[in-house]
Amino acid sequence: MKKASIPAVISTALICFIFWLLISGGLVALCQGAPDVRNLVVGLLVSVFVGLFSARFFIHESPFYLWNPAKLLQLLFYCICIFPIELIKANLDVALRALNPVLPINPGIVKVPVDVQSEYGQAMLANSITLTPGTITMDIVEEEVPVGEASPAKEGEEAAPLPTKPQTFYYIHWINVASEDPKEAGDAIKGTLEKGVRRIFD
Amino acid sequence: MRIVVDVLIVISIFFAFAGVVGMLRMPDSFTRMQSSTNIATMGVLGVILGGAVYAALGLHEPVMVVKLLVLGVFYIITNPISGHAICRGAYKHGVRPKEEMKCHKYGEDMVEEK
Repeated sequence: MKKASIPAVISTALICFIFWLLISGGLVALCQGAPDVRNLVVGLLVSVFVGLFSARFFIHESPFYLWNPAKLLQLLFYCICIFPIELIKANLDVALRALNPVLPINPGIVKVPVDVQSEYGQAMLANSITLTPGTITMDIVEEEVPVGEASPAKEGEEAAPLPTKPQTFYYIHWINVASEDPKEAGDAIKGTLEKGVRRIFD
Repeated sequence: MRIVVDVLIVISIFFAFAGVVGMLRMPDSFTRMQSSTNIATMGVLGVILGGAVYAALGLHEPVMVVKLLVLGVFYIITNPISGHAICRGAYKHGVRPKEEMKCHKYGEDMVEEK
């Protein structure tokens, strides 16, 4: 098990403290100009304590990445603008499919390549897909795939093996399989979502 | 204000109803789970948003609004994890989809690994 570094602990404690402020009502009191000092001190102590223990499970990459204001704004934009639109579209589709006996269901499991590198990005994209009705991420695998075109083999030589790179794949259960081709299916399921996630984490 | 709250709650009730009908109509457990995400997203979010609007404009309690919104955020974060875990666990346990699946890449690849 990896040991937690001090920046990771600080970052975790900050997140805990923000949620403490939100839930305990400390933030509202602060905005109204009457901060409750005891509330703030207890919150700070508890969040540092929690951060000490849970930072090593919570943070595996660069700890202050998401505290960058530009990234935070893009995360907010993703959560408020991009994702709800997809959510409502998919919800209407599945609701109509359930209520209308004429519309067929056409289930299947497709395999889709994903170009997000960061662990958090992959988890976030998979959760977004699962949260959208009609698609559930079933597994994430990493495979080596060949890159580039095969060069024509010369006389008396075997064709050199293509260089490979790791590529992440999702297995997605899809209620209405529109195409079995990995690229097309990927565009249909996660086209706009993946762009949003990549803007945050790459 | 009252109209906005009512519309939000009616929308969420509609989606919850559609989700339940879907759960009864779908042929196998995986498609049933798909239908139940309907309830889990729009069904719950509509009620939470309606409650938040009511707490803000009807009751004038900012603390309650913030708590409701944080509740919604946590719901959004934790819900897909359980859905994914149930679906994968069911598959690994031996629950198989009906024959009429259009394509079945996961099954093919899992057989290759064995």
